[in-house]
Amino acid sequence: MTHDTVALIHRLLAASLVAWHVDGRVEREADDLTLTAGEHTLLIARGAPPFRWTVTLAGRTRGVTSIAGLLRTARRVVDPDHQASRLRIAPGPLVSP
Amino acid sequence: MIPVTVLTGFLGSGKTTLLGKLLRSPAFARTAVIINEFGEVGLDHDLIETSDESFVTLQTGCLCCSIRGDLVLTLADILRRRDEGTVAPFERVVIETSGLADPAPILHAVMSDDALAERLTLSGVVTTVDAVHGEETLARQPESIKQVAVADRLVLTKTDLVDAVPAALTDRLAALNPSAPLLPTSFGDLDPERLFDARIWDPAGKLVPEHDLHKHHGAHDRNRHDERIACFALIREQPIPAVALTLFLEVLAEHCGADLLRLKGILAIAESPERPAVIHGVQHMFHAPGFLERWPSDDRRSRLVFIARDLPRVFAEALLDAIDAEVRETATTAAEASE
Repeated sequence: MTHDTVALIHRLLAASLVAWHVDGRVEREADDLTLTAGEHTLLIARGAPPFRWTVTLAGRTRGVTSIAGLLRTARRVVDPDHQASRLRIAPGPLVSP
Repeated sequence: MIPVTVLTGFLGSGKTTLLGKLLRSPAFARTAVIINEFGEVGLDHDLIETSDESFVTLQTGCLCCSIRGDLVLTLADILRRRDEGTVAPFERVVIETSGLADPAPILHAVMSDDALAERLTLSGVVTTVDAVHGEETLARQPESIKQVAVADRLVLTKTDLVDAVPAALTDRLAALNPSAPLLPTSFGDLDPERLFDARIWDPAGKLVPEHDLHKHHGAHDRNRHDERIACFALIREQPIPAVALTLFLEVLAEHCGADLLRLKGILAIAESPERPAVIHGVQHMFHAPGFLERWPSDDRRSRLVFIARDLPRVFAEALLDAIDAEVRETATTAAEASE
């Protein structure tokens, strides 16, 4: 995870809290991020392949492989009532470029 | 493929009048019309005269609530009857929704059925707005806002009843959906060609220029507080990797699906920058990207236009930036590992 990538994830997590209507904050220390919302604190750090990040909650650490996984993990914690939708592609002819 | 147009608009906004006029136009012959009425006794279909080459079928109940499956069955039935020769060989389908309908589930029904997708294609959404009562309706009826938000064409009806169309109404419509052309009419008089050329695959006439978004910026801010619906655009100078686009849409659908009223865009894909990709979605449902033969203008930037409820622009921006960076970083890492 590069320095710039940490900045992008920091910004994304902060924007996500706004989008999810969750009161909270995201703070950065070196290449680690801490997301705090209500009673929950998530520590987000660089992971080892195949995991791009690790998320630590209440002393338990799990790996996530992508931004999609990172956001999904965070939202399950801070917004457990959210009902996720899945992308659906309408049936139809697939055209290659 | 037979094009399907969804005609929506709030109660009394002039859908049936417009449709009745259109169906008497020779240019609009060979049309199958499905009218959805809310209530046990349908009436609208009796108010519409058609030529011999067109026909009207009726559904009662609210399409968006409980009988979406019935719409699929009705569409399948009229296709079967067309094949059997028991109805005229129609060349287009118009679905007139109940004035109370949320159009999104209806669009999903048309887009998502495998069998129908082989023969029908969603060609666009036409929404009628009453020039007299439109402003009040938008203020009081959330369904009417959704109807405007998903439109490809907005038809301003009953303009003969006002000395001048209220600027507050046109500003409001432009703020809610700046990419939909606004077509004034009275008594349903409108050139069908202007109304039903709303091909979703044609981005040239649909993506709002950035300066138009700026022009309506004040109205957007007001919307964010009043109706929670906003329109904004993301523009990228650099081509976007295909997998980044896919991931972006997946995360958007997962986290904002219900609030993503409309998303359409023309994009430079890194793998094929000479052929722009066109995307179009309603909530979490998207058409497979289409690729144009060439860019429609000298502007080769990727442009995504959002009409969404409670979706901060900064989230969409930050998400696209982060995913784009992640994909590029992964590709670089993989390339280094293979050396």
